Amino acid sequence: MPRRERVAVLAAGVATPIGQDLDAFWSSLLTGASGISTIERFPVADLRVGRGGEIKKLTRVTRWTGVPDCRATRLLVSAADELTAQVPLGPADVEPARLAVVVGTALGGVEEGERALAGEGPRRRLRGALYDAPGHNLARWLGARGHVLTVSTACASGATALGIGADLLRQDMADLVVAGGYDILCRFVMRGFDALRSLTRDEVRPFDRRRSGLLLGEAGALVLLAREADAGRRPLGWLRGHASTGDGSHIAAPDPDGRGLERAVRLALAEADAAPGDVDFVSAHGTATPLNDRIETAVLKRVFQAHAHAIPVNSIKATMGHTMGAAATLEAIMCLLAGRHGQIPPTRHLEVPDPECDLDYVPGVARALRPRLSLSTSLGFGGCNGALILESA
Amino acid sequence: MTTAVATARSGPRILAPAIRAVGFVSGWGKGPGAIPADARVAAGGQDVVPLGRPAVEGERFRRATRECLWALAAIEAMLENGAIGRAALAGDRTALLFVTAAVYGASNRAFIERSGGGTHFAYTAPAVVSAEAAIEFGLHGPAALFIGGPPATLRAIWYAATLLAGGSCDRALVLAVETFAECADLYARARRRGAPPLVEAAGCAWLEPGEGRLELQVRWSPRDSSTGIEARLGETFACAPLAELAMWRQDGGAGDLRLHGRWRGEAADLTITKGGA
Repeated sequence: MPRRERVAVLAAGVATPIGQDLDAFWSSLLTGASGISTIERFPVADLRVGRGGEIKKLTRVTRWTGVPDCRATRLLVSAADELTAQVPLGPADVEPARLAVVVGTALGGVEEGERALAGEGPRRRLRGALYDAPGHNLARWLGARGHVLTVSTACASGATALGIGADLLRQDMADLVVAGGYDILCRFVMRGFDALRSLTRDEVRPFDRRRSGLLLGEAGALVLLAREADAGRRPLGWLRGHASTGDGSHIAAPDPDGRGLERAVRLALAEADAAPGDVDFVSAHGTATPLNDRIETAVLKRVFQAHAHAIPVNSIKATMGHTMGAAATLEAIMCLLAGRHGQIPPTRHLEVPDPECDLDYVPGVARALRPRLSLSTSLGFGGCNGALILESA
Repeated sequence: MTTAVATARSGPRILAPAIRAVGFVSGWGKGPGAIPADARVAAGGQDVVPLGRPAVEGERFRRATRECLWALAAIEAMLENGAIGRAALAGDRTALLFVTAAVYGASNRAFIERSGGGTHFAYTAPAVVSAEAAIEFGLHGPAALFIGGPPATLRAIWYAATLLAGGSCDRALVLAVETFAECADLYARARRRGAPPLVEAAGCAWLEPGEGRLELQVRWSPRDSSTGIEARLGETFACAPLAELAMWRQDGGAGDLRLHGRWRGEAADLTITKGGA
């Protein structure tokens, strides 16, 4: 595979349970602040688990004029508000036809469907239930008139969105791309994961021998991508490689050998023209389900071989829950912030090592290290896998 | 800080894929030959022209949704169209790009309105439709899922061309499925009066490295008029470009290929120019 041009990550914006701007997000990751709480926005009394990474109030944007009453859209707009504070994207800054939007989601506007079926709101709410509605709402808010894409590779969506955004730039189909992911907590998804018995009543403990499942969270996360030659400012870093693959193994569970994830990692490394030994840090999907963490560990050992034990690996899902479509984008941003600040956020609640998960997972406290090249991995329903190779500025 | 960016340029042109086979099934019947001359007349007042549930044997499919089964049927139709055996598809050199605007609607609604279990919840994920196809045909290569109407399908074709040109795969399937019957009452509430009928459909195109040039352009025009294919076919959301592709192949596949799609005010045009430049 020929090496492709690296793509600059010019700016980022987040709306998360642990902070609604990059500074708060980053400091919470380092200090171990928890975004997990009892869910208050909708009834959960009938569920086995009623906790998650819920954003209690969106505080960054105070005026929602012209923005639909759709929580998913508002998470995206909140993240975009931070992003555009760093790099303006008005018509004087970028030709609207050359500004593209690529967002990833597992759930789209499904809550709008729940509300419409409950008889709430106007007839047009049904259009908002389609999974591409929040992405189009974001494009409208940004004034973007280029390509507008929604991708849905389940919980790997935030990685696929960044990769396709980079390809739009490499093929000169846009000059700037706002790319990222989002998903919200709602009855639909809480009921679903409750039925799957995937949610833990304990803490989320990635790679710990006692791990017993995940908690869900909600977030919006966006980055601004540009061709390196057009960057015009010091970027946060670069997206060097991406791949999304399918397991073709099971509709809900990952391939037990992780072959699809391994292919994604190897393809992303090849696109980045990087060798396994070049990678300094891995942001794992790390959901804290027994199967996921064991599979990821095995894949990392196969890819990195003797080098695997020397690479720090973390998971930030214990801090704010699994934010589904937003997770991979948040983790990509975390990789770049780690390079900027010279710190690797810890894996929270990892206390008892698992013999099957024997890599260096950065337990306890943040570690002083400035990774140059990072790998971020993601997995999702439908056997979806995503891998990103990120380079710090 | 102001980012200096060039003004809009003409659409980029990339190496186009060759189209080896196309399968298409719809509420009108199998293949492009079943598509009527006028969808409204042929629908005879039906708001939704359904596909029903395909007859697929096997215990593995007992709980699969009919949208999953139509994904398999579309791929089978494509193999038949190209006179290709199943074995040619299997492996990690086949990319699968799935497109849909609304196929998850039926499962989502059922899960919202009834108390469904974990397996039912899994089937609400759009990615599970393409996962069933990947499992059945042994597809382990690059994969992505685009949500949206016809422009999303055109972008999936573009992305397939990108993967092929970059050497990430040897062949790429662009698969689309749309079902409407379970949500017919909701569509009746949400759609404008006099709209063409919704026609359930599934299609799949087999793309491989080619020699022509591909160009994809978008513009935003809320008043962009209906396309000819919609008047004939009815509304099939993401499946419409694959119906056009099937008709083009049925007509001999000569000359340049032009596909058009519109959705939410976005109009997209994809052109494949044969023989380079």
